[in-house]
Amino acid sequence: MHLNILHKYWKTAAMAATSFVGDSPLFLLDYLLRFLRVAVLLSIWRTILAGKGEVSGMTMESVLTYTLIAEVFAEQLSPRTGLDLAIWNGSIATRFLHPIGTFEEFASEAFGKWILGFCMFSLPLLAFSPLLGVNPLPESAEAGGLFILSLTLAISVGLAIEFIFGALMVSLELNMWALYQIRGAVTTLLSGALLPLPLLPWRIGDAFAWLPFASMASAPLRIYTGTGEALQLIAIQAGWSVILWPVAHFLWRASRERMVSYGG
Amino acid sequence: MEGDYRRSTIGQLFRLWKLYGTMDLMFMTRDLKLVLTYYISDVISNTASVSATLLLAERFDGIGGWTKFQIVFMLGYATAVSGIMWTFFNYNALHISRRLGRGQLDHTLIQPQPIWMALLTEGFTPFSSSAILVPGFVLIIWATAKLSLTVTPAWLAMAALNLVASSAVVLAFSFMWGSIAFWAPRAAEEISSSAVNLVHQIKSIPLDGLGPLLVGGLMTALPVGFVAWYPCRYLVGIDGSRWGGLATPLAAAILSTLAAWVFIRGIKHYGKTGSQRYSNFGHRR
Repeated sequence: MHLNILHKYWKTAAMAATSFVGDSPLFLLDYLLRFLRVAVLLSIWRTILAGKGEVSGMTMESVLTYTLIAEVFAEQLSPRTGLDLAIWNGSIATRFLHPIGTFEEFASEAFGKWILGFCMFSLPLLAFSPLLGVNPLPESAEAGGLFILSLTLAISVGLAIEFIFGALMVSLELNMWALYQIRGAVTTLLSGALLPLPLLPWRIGDAFAWLPFASMASAPLRIYTGTGEALQLIAIQAGWSVILWPVAHFLWRASRERMVSYGG
Repeated sequence: MEGDYRRSTIGQLFRLWKLYGTMDLMFMTRDLKLVLTYYISDVISNTASVSATLLLAERFDGIGGWTKFQIVFMLGYATAVSGIMWTFFNYNALHISRRLGRGQLDHTLIQPQPIWMALLTEGFTPFSSSAILVPGFVLIIWATAKLSLTVTPAWLAMAALNLVASSAVVLAFSFMWGSIAFWAPRAAEEISSSAVNLVHQIKSIPLDGLGPLLVGGLMTALPVGFVAWYPCRYLVGIDGSRWGGLATPLAAAILSTLAAWVFIRGIKHYGKTGSQRYSNFGHRR
């Protein structure tokens, strides 16, 4: 019975994973560009931190590992389900007719796309990391275990924010592309996915660390590299998860009735 | 006779830019809420995209051999290049793989004008893209004053030439990658976005110290170095060579020729296969 329930989520994920690869192997070029980006980011950090020793509790080695792992788990640290696109192009209307919950369907699809990205990009990047001169291992076995818990909470917070933005898009009648741009830009900066928050000037990273965005990326990455208080970071993540999911449910319930769809 | 043709072509270009510029102004004045949303989102996203480098420059008092205000100059230059791109090549003219992948090239092919003219004019949005262009020039002017650069007519001419050349490099890069969508419309529909995003993410980073292999790659196969780093080295005086200011225009000429060659090959392929994804209501399948 339980397996039957999971089956529909797995099939949704599998369809999302395979739909992208059916046309041509040229889709791999996209991943090639991402590899290049990682190589550039690692080189930049080497240039900036050369000869500086430990900066704000982070050595060059830990920053390089932080950057590598941020790229390996990039899709999980900033989860996007395609909800905004479905609202924008009207296909959300037909989603309501599917025999699966809206949250679960979008989350399953995201999971399916992650499988593809993980196989095509994340695993090869981890395998080649010694060639890039980066140690891909966590600070300790304990840090590795806590990272898995923290990553799960990060995905939870990220998905809650995804549905909150989706609901706001409907209720405030916001333009999808504008919201997409704002969210992407703000999240990248405030989450610590690009720059480790402790390395920001004027100690503004200390303030950012309390925001929900930091629970999406900075918290698990700092735990992995052993540059943050793991239990405190996990507690903050759990707190945001507990706060944001009821907000997401409430906003989504309140706004979905206001949705007007044409097309799809 | 040929002179008349050239005059009429240039006149047609300006007529079309005027037409699309007017339509952009009408779009801007039609719905205040929508315009403000777009404008604010452009300001926020572009500020955020350059702020990472700016914050690093502030934290470490420069990056590599670049001082803080040399970095500000480069960020302004990079933002201005983005502004030029969005001003002239909006509506997926820059993200050409989207049009190709969705079968929307047919919309251009049925127009009574050359394809190059359509692509050069129909994405012209001078008003709605000013949220990117204006902050770029403000940053350049601010940094120029702080760096006490000697601004002569020759320097201004080189700055303008390099800005246009850097924009041409971005366009050529997007078209070279985007042309893959002629052969793989579904898989490569977003390849131009990936290419442009890569440029967007790396353009404002000084590439000094990256090692010859990586810098070589970023100046040839993926010419991100010409988008801001290399021309700014010359303009702020880090590169004191006499011909340093001509490298980016030369690269732009070579890359544009290559991009045109690839794109034309793609069109010939498209002429045989057409688009399998086109539907009569203009939406992809």
